[in-house]
Amino acid sequence: MRRALVLVAALWAGTAAAEAPVAAIVEGHVLPGFTRLAEASATLDATADDHCAPEDPALRAAWGAAFDAWIAVSHLRFGPTETGDRAFALAFWPDSRGATPKALAGLIAARDPVVETAEGFATVSIAARGFHALEFLIYDPAFTGDDAAAYRCALVQAMAGDIARIAADILTDWRADYAERMRDAGGNDTYRTPDEAAQELFKAVSTGLQFTSDTRLGRPLGTFDKPRPTRAEAWRSGRSLRHVVMSLDGTRDLALMLAEGHPEAAAALDAAYGRAFAIARDLDDPVFAGVETPEGRFQVEILQQAVDAIRRVVAQDLGPTLGVAAGFNALDGD
Amino acid sequence: MTSRRGFLAGLLAAGVVPKPGWADAGDPAYLTAARLPDRSYWLFGLTETGDELFRLPLPDRGHAAAAHPARPEAVAFARRPGTFAVVIDCVTGASKAVLESPPGRHFYGHGAFSADGGLLFAPENDYKAARGVIGIWDAARGYARLGEFSSGGVGPHDARLLPDGETIVVANGGIETHPEAGRTKLNLSTMRPNLTYLRLDGTAVDQTELDPALHRNSIRHLAVGPDGLVAFAMQWEGDLAAHPPLLGLHRMGGTPRLLAAGDEDHRRMQGYAGSIALAPASGQVAITSPRGGLVQMFDTVTGTCLASHAGPDVCGVSDAGRGFLITAGTGIVSLAGAQGEIWRRRHACQWDNHLVRVARG
Repeated sequence: MRRALVLVAALWAGTAAAEAPVAAIVEGHVLPGFTRLAEASATLDATADDHCAPEDPALRAAWGAAFDAWIAVSHLRFGPTETGDRAFALAFWPDSRGATPKALAGLIAARDPVVETAEGFATVSIAARGFHALEFLIYDPAFTGDDAAAYRCALVQAMAGDIARIAADILTDWRADYAERMRDAGGNDTYRTPDEAAQELFKAVSTGLQFTSDTRLGRPLGTFDKPRPTRAEAWRSGRSLRHVVMSLDGTRDLALMLAEGHPEAAAALDAAYGRAFAIARDLDDPVFAGVETPEGRFQVEILQQAVDAIRRVVAQDLGPTLGVAAGFNALDGD
Repeated sequence: MTSRRGFLAGLLAAGVVPKPGWADAGDPAYLTAARLPDRSYWLFGLTETGDELFRLPLPDRGHAAAAHPARPEAVAFARRPGTFAVVIDCVTGASKAVLESPPGRHFYGHGAFSADGGLLFAPENDYKAARGVIGIWDAARGYARLGEFSSGGVGPHDARLLPDGETIVVANGGIETHPEAGRTKLNLSTMRPNLTYLRLDGTAVDQTELDPALHRNSIRHLAVGPDGLVAFAMQWEGDLAAHPPLLGLHRMGGTPRLLAAGDEDHRRMQGYAGSIALAPASGQVAITSPRGGLVQMFDTVTGTCLASHAGPDVCGVSDAGRGFLITAGTGIVSLAGAQGEIWRRRHACQWDNHLVRVARG
């Protein structure tokens, strides 16, 4: 019996053979991603200074570019993005209780002077901050009329400034501290071993994929009897499918870097992602409006299944190379 | 001395036919759900030595079960967001009733009987309102639904009866979910888990929250000792680098006490405790982490971590008198104490999250 125990322990230890290129991932994936986010957000802030009208194409373009940059790193939900709920302040979604329009309507009705200073605006509910709140102000007819135009202009500018500051703070923390903690895993308290840092990155891939499947696709799908197209992400600006594709791009980049030295896992990942991208490319439904028809729904379900197929490859082929358990309960606990 | 079976046989011979009790189900010691290699789902009865006593089919993936205190009857709950619970006659293997959660509600996978077995209390999600409720089911009359009351929080996951027979303790995990979004967690930035004590009529008598810095530590699973000690297991939804405790002890009216192993061993739990069990005889409490592949045992008095045993995909854990019985997704059932593993056997199935001890005699 004792021998059996030792044998199991040895097998268990043997699965954790990670020499994942954490430093290369920080340099080649994390820092460039957050640099792009900080730059695009700074551009949004500067643009909003002179372009605060809802229909202004320059404002919309700058907002879209910064939002793109966020979606591309939105799977990297640990460390600097989690300090002070920064990630939620950038992207409060899903908003299952309609908190964002409620909070915005409250600010506008009161002409709340909290928009006048950056410090003041940082105290506003996270539901009224970030890319999704800004989308309401520039795409939702309930918020883009003539009423209170001057106040809404100030609100747009306050939001853009807030986004830029948060993005800059995330980048600063990564550069000043967190990048080194990951590279130096084993020599600090956050990551005691290189395995722990690799596993954090692995978790970013798997939770990012889960969010895309369950939430970006699952929410608009709703149920067969009750599809919910207006629960798609950023449907007001027509970006729902775009977000699915961009988030898949982000996790693919990271997953393939994690699979370095494991050609079989890399090939399986490449094939699974390739299939999902092909399905997304053929899907002529940018906001998943088609979920209300059986055929349209089928198309979105196929895409969701393709994302779930990637998740299985990640769990079963990539995880074990990094010492991440792929068991029945470990993968899918409750 | 007359054996129990001999005594029953005597009664039968005398024409006095008692109602069937757990002995007639072969006295199973434990109930647990499992998945077979063909991906079908079952409820198993296991003996104290981990042998299979019976298996009964489930329509979908199960989570935990509640054993009736007197009748050889178990209610196997669907895994969240499932809407069924099957009442199983553990003597005949027949399904005696199927509970369907009412429209706008789903089960969380756990439930608790009243002391006399007349009522079943089940945590449910009123997902439109994002509030937790405790459904009341009439176990004396075919499991009709009698009503519900507030669970005192969002995401009530587990509920247990206290030994006073008058109070149930509820682990409100704090996480808002909606079946249309699958298992997506909708409120991580604002979640506020708590432990709520309710009288059987729904009156709240105590509620405790952890420090606000721990508001992303979802209180999920419970174990209750014969002296009213409540042990709770948590799942951390915040930054993984934070490593907060995953185990707490509480008594109604008191303040919670949080326990964690030494830093290295605690980190190996990976922020996730899947199941919890108290062993009153030894004064120990055990938590499992399938993600970390680890079982940890603590002394409930000193708060010291006594042991960390590795075991791939361990999750189910239950009091076994001289140790803890532990089940894993690998099919292994093992008995282990703080000193180490005592025995193990393997079944050709994947044991699901929980292992429920059947209270006997």
